[in-house]
Amino acid sequence: MNNNVKKRLYFFLVSIITVLIIGKFIYDSLKINSVYFFSPSDLVSITEIPNGKIRVGGMVKNKSLKKKGNQYSFIVTDFKNEILVYYKGIKPNLFEEGQGAVVEGKLNTRTNFVATKILAKHDENYMPKEVADALKKTGNWKNNYGK
Amino acid sequence: MASSFANIILILSIFFSFLSNLFFFKKKIKLSIYSFNLSSILVIISFLLLIFYFSSSNFSISAVYENSHTLKPFFYKLSGTWGNHEGSLLLFILIIGLYGTLFSLIYQKDIKFKSWVIFFQNNIYLIFLAFLIVKSNPFDLIIPMPKEGLGLNPILQDPLLVVHPPFLYLGYVGFSLTLSLVLAALVTKQLDDAWAKISWPWVMTSWVFLTIGISLGSIWAYYELGWGGYWFWDPVENASLMPWLAGTALIHSLLVLKIKNKMQNWTALLAILTFSLSLLGTFLVRSGILNSVHAFANDPDRGVFILIIIFFITTGSLLIHILYSSVTPNKKILFFSKENFLNINNLFLLFFLFIILLGTIYPIILSAIGETISIGPDYYNTILAPFIFIFLIAMTIGPILKWSQNIGLKELYFLIIIFFVALIISFLIIIFSKRNELMLYLGIASSLLLIFTILIEFHKNRHKVQIINFSRLCSHLGVGVFILSVFLNSYFSKTKDFEIQIGETKKFDNLSLNLVDQNILKINNYFEMRTDFEILNNNKIFILNPSIRRYFQPDQITSETSIKPTLLSNHYLAINFPDLNSKVIGARYYYNFFIHGIWFGLILIIFGGILSVFKKRI
Repeated sequence: MNNNVKKRLYFFLVSIITVLIIGKFIYDSLKINSVYFFSPSDLVSITEIPNGKIRVGGMVKNKSLKKKGNQYSFIVTDFKNEILVYYKGIKPNLFEEGQGAVVEGKLNTRTNFVATKILAKHDENYMPKEVADALKKTGNWKNNYGK
Repeated sequence: MASSFANIILILSIFFSFLSNLFFFKKKIKLSIYSFNLSSILVIISFLLLIFYFSSSNFSISAVYENSHTLKPFFYKLSGTWGNHEGSLLLFILIIGLYGTLFSLIYQKDIKFKSWVIFFQNNIYLIFLAFLIVKSNPFDLIIPMPKEGLGLNPILQDPLLVVHPPFLYLGYVGFSLTLSLVLAALVTKQLDDAWAKISWPWVMTSWVFLTIGISLGSIWAYYELGWGGYWFWDPVENASLMPWLAGTALIHSLLVLKIKNKMQNWTALLAILTFSLSLLGTFLVRSGILNSVHAFANDPDRGVFILIIIFFITTGSLLIHILYSSVTPNKKILFFSKENFLNINNLFLLFFLFIILLGTIYPIILSAIGETISIGPDYYNTILAPFIFIFLIAMTIGPILKWSQNIGLKELYFLIIIFFVALIISFLIIIFSKRNELMLYLGIASSLLLIFTILIEFHKNRHKVQIINFSRLCSHLGVGVFILSVFLNSYFSKTKDFEIQIGETKKFDNLSLNLVDQNILKINNYFEMRTDFEILNNNKIFILNPSIRRYFQPDQITSETSIKPTLLSNHYLAINFPDLNSKVIGARYYYNFFIHGIWFGLILIIFGGILSVFKKRI
């Protein structure tokens, strides 16, 4: 093997290894930071309860919003199944009963959720896309939602 | 009446755009350029008409009806013109035309080259004009004329957001001219240093506008959204950052082309990439595929149309590149030469771009197989941070090096000394702040390294004003200040959520907040609940007045933050709508450390860019 080929071969090897290491790094980071979305019905039907951070979305059930100290509790429903959500903190402005909402946090059980974040929406026309899809799945989507 | 008049003007403009192509193929070059210019003037007229309809609340025009309201302040009636899908697309087209027309007026040397540039520009223009007329006509007629409009999203009723979209568009869309310049150069076989000199001010102009546009958006998000931050790694923000990164890579490779006549093909590819990403940004933002305040159109058809346009323009440009690019001899490049460090700069910027692109479209791809996920900001922060350090070090070394030579001993010693000084100072900062974090240490050290090198260069050349490269020094200093401030801000800021009633006082650390008063006012098109907070910090008292607004049409709530700037930081307070049957107000307090540095860094970057647009030498 002449020197030039050797050099190129080394270069090639080093590049491959670098790319693999960086690739692994990116892949891990992507995995750790992916937050999956579930509807209340998804949570009933899945076999394994996710134990990391997830998002749950649906409609906030009417007359379910309660407050005790600085802890809120409310029910998120897709009209087929529902989940009880606890949230400690400041309630976002655009969060109301009878409206769509997405919450982020951890599951206690399949029907009990501790939220660390309520995702506020931008305006009154906006219905979270995930929620719209979840409601369409259970056949409870009405066209006036999000209007 | 109003509708048909405007529509006639639009039809005429597309007619002249067609005519321009026809003349071009018949080799009537001058006529071709004239009809393009005429067409672009007609689009300007139609845009002025739309502004007029908006300001006079003419609700027989669909775009006006859907996005305006008689109660809205006059200023925001005007800005409503581009605060919606149709109007903003018309502005988009206007700017494509404007760049083409300005180029045809300013550039007078080579008429053949010019006609090719205008030809490509005209075709990009034509595609979008056709899309507008067929699929998103702002001048659609509504019969009978409604009495009242639907109103503009209140969150957009803000002075900064009036200018944010036009600036962003002047940037995004300006890269259409860059693409036309590259394609014309490929076809006429003159992609060389002389071409780079002609293109330089145009590319820089677009880049400056894009930088301003992104910065304005960031400042707006800071004080309007009330979340205390300036950048959220929201897909919509990423959509504007991606063309910026590609554009930044482009100006650096254009520099090599301009001075050393190297990297022709690479520059051409970057130009194609930059405009494609601008279009991709438009698609992501406008198609409604992402949930965002920017997604005006929720008509999936439009998204498909924009995708087809992107596909067409990108593959068309690549095809021209494949057919016409000439093989340049492989010139040997030394590792420690300026060219090589500009290469390294390009690789890093494209790597950042790749990471951001991946994070932005990965959820979209997964949603196709039925999984709904979102990518958190930590993904970007953890991956980008370590590479930022290396990038900054390369950015320090690169400009000191000479073209086509290896590094000299003098430069080497200089670098080593600066390197140690930066390490020691960051070490001192870490000790005094009692923060023992590796990331923070590296962030401060690498940005100080860059800042010191540039300050010393300023100092050394202070008497030789004619040879000093002010634009580069300014922008790079801006990057150093920016990154330094980002690190300081993210490690030393504090935030606290709390609930409070009138008369109550909350204390944390050395700060106490007292809610003195609250009252409700009625202003134009909204109710406002204003609060008076008295804040005591290190024996200094100041008042903050965060408020909350309820707009009538559309019925919506926005928070108005209140910010007290001090020498090194911002005290930032936002409140929430109180619970209906209680007097308790939810509030968020942010102590934002060194946020001024972030804005100052951005201003320096922009200022350097502006200088380089007007730079006369080489």
